[in-house]
Amino acid sequence: MIQVSKVCKTYARGGDSVVHALSEISFAVHDREFIAIRGASGSGKSTLLNILGCLDVPSSGTYLLANEDVSHHSDRELSRVRAERIGFIFQSFNLLPGTTARENVELPMIYAKGRVSRKKALDLLERVGLQDRANHFASELSGGQQQRVAIARALVNDPPLILADEPTGNLDSASSAEVMEILTQLHKEGRTIVLVSHDDAVASYADREMALHDGKIRSDVRIPRKGVPQSNWEAVS
Amino acid sequence: MKLAGGVGLAFRSISRRRLRTLLMMLGVTVGIGSLTLLNAVGEASKTESMKRFKNMIGTFDTIIIRPGAGRTRGMVSLTNVPGTLKFGDADAIEASLAGVKQVARLQNAFDIDIKYRDHADSTAVFGVSANWFELRSDDPAKGALFGEEDNRELARVAVLGADAESRLFAGEDSIGKTIRIGDVPFQVQGVLKSRGAGPGGGSLDDLILIPIETASKRLFNRDYLTMMIVQLKDADIGDASVQAITALLRDRHHLAAAALDDFTITNPRAIAAQVTKMNSTLAKTLKGVATLAMLLGGVVIMALMLIGVSERRKEIGVRRGVGASRRDVLWQFATEAMLISCAGGVLGVVLALVGMSAVARVARLPLQLNLDVLVVSLVLSIATGLFFGLYPAWKAAHVDPIAALRA
Repeated sequence: MIQVSKVCKTYARGGDSVVHALSEISFAVHDREFIAIRGASGSGKSTLLNILGCLDVPSSGTYLLANEDVSHHSDRELSRVRAERIGFIFQSFNLLPGTTARENVELPMIYAKGRVSRKKALDLLERVGLQDRANHFASELSGGQQQRVAIARALVNDPPLILADEPTGNLDSASSAEVMEILTQLHKEGRTIVLVSHDDAVASYADREMALHDGKIRSDVRIPRKGVPQSNWEAVS
Repeated sequence: MKLAGGVGLAFRSISRRRLRTLLMMLGVTVGIGSLTLLNAVGEASKTESMKRFKNMIGTFDTIIIRPGAGRTRGMVSLTNVPGTLKFGDADAIEASLAGVKQVARLQNAFDIDIKYRDHADSTAVFGVSANWFELRSDDPAKGALFGEEDNRELARVAVLGADAESRLFAGEDSIGKTIRIGDVPFQVQGVLKSRGAGPGGGSLDDLILIPIETASKRLFNRDYLTMMIVQLKDADIGDASVQAITALLRDRHHLAAAALDDFTITNPRAIAAQVTKMNSTLAKTLKGVATLAMLLGGVVIMALMLIGVSERRKEIGVRRGVGASRRDVLWQFATEAMLISCAGGVLGVVLALVGMSAVARVARLPLQLNLDVLVVSLVLSIATGLFFGLYPAWKAAHVDPIAALRA
């Protein structure tokens, strides 16, 4: 799914000084993998996530997403890839204020091929257990509910890759568990999930853990299947 | 992004910010409204003065020749013009110039005493050739007009203007009655249909017409004309005909090359065009104000949109994150600006229509909104939105989605 080779990202910071956010990182993420990326702030994990999410391009090196080299894509091409291949989940939910849950879920369909389907949005809201909240505004929903709307939004164009950036960072433990249950379920259904998190408990849902330090990969280990809490997905849906 | 989706998106977005949208519309509304109203008033007064001018002249394929080189103030009359324009000049123009259809001759005087029984009045008396009526498209309201044989026979018959009749006869039927012009008795043979007001607003119906030969030999005892109206076969040969007539008359009057013309030729079509040109200072000022309002409206749109862009950074980030390209964002914001200014333009046209019905009632001008004015108004307002919305839209398109999503 993801093939990153010798990717560098440098930022000019006034005058001649250059910041190396990522230096010659190489790794691969296979289809249906659930990988957690960890690292202190400034380790380069946000930069990596931006590149993986096609919001940014590497300064050098190549990034293949589903065998498509996106490292030199134009803005329009990157936008198309974001719309069709990637679902984002953010720490701060990032729902549009003043729009309903359903409208938020419909948003990515505007920018992808095909028609905007209200039914699809409602089906997804039902999947995350929010069918009765479809016409509520984002501000009327709890944090956990907002994040579930965001997950429905990330799924609406049926992307193979889900990028979750501290998805539970702003949630209480109960809501966190709900969100992680949904992500686990999505993984089981065959989606590739890249998760960035500080939280050991959250990272433990993944089956691979990669740690970044100073723009380099410090460790990359496979986590043996642990006693993941019994799924209550069925109860949610 | 789909076009319909884009417009729908923009529409929902602006309908959520009603007060701001209203403020953004305001300048365009005032600008378009006043431009539309001014245009309608200008067009109507142009049409109206053209109509009045035509009332006075009759037709537009004519050239007027008057005696004397100077431009006589006011209406010419036997008492204030030199006797340089003779009956023979008219005959010569009619006979020798190919483009001329006919020549109407006129001899007139003002303040002639008119009497009917013991009722005295004074009005303008015009001795005219029989083709005068045809040339001016004059028709009798009652009775009959006089013809060429009345001229030949020096018949003492008169045709009255509507106002002249009502003043002299005060409601009594004038046909067949005898009036005295100067001291000469004339029989009233017909009354003209009313022509209404001239360009200055004065009545065109306060006159008495008699055959020109009768006027020349029995009443005024003058052998010169106060005016000739030359009707052309083709209205477009006016300038060439003016030259040909000038040459002919100079030759007939034996004028030396250095001498000035002893006659004056005017081409009413050229004058009408000038009279009706709307270029009063007031109109210019108002147009300037309207244009300024339009510009201000544009600047308000730009300023409020720039504020909107910085307030909506997060929204822009989210849209970019889920797959909007820079072009999609640019298009969304530009569409919003165009929708707002177009709505402002529509509101302006509506206000102009209200204003027009008010003006139409007060100034009694026949106002109407032309389709091309409507189209120009809407295109202009959309263009204003696009022009002033493009920079904010460009700014929106270049918001860094990464920073916006983290904020």
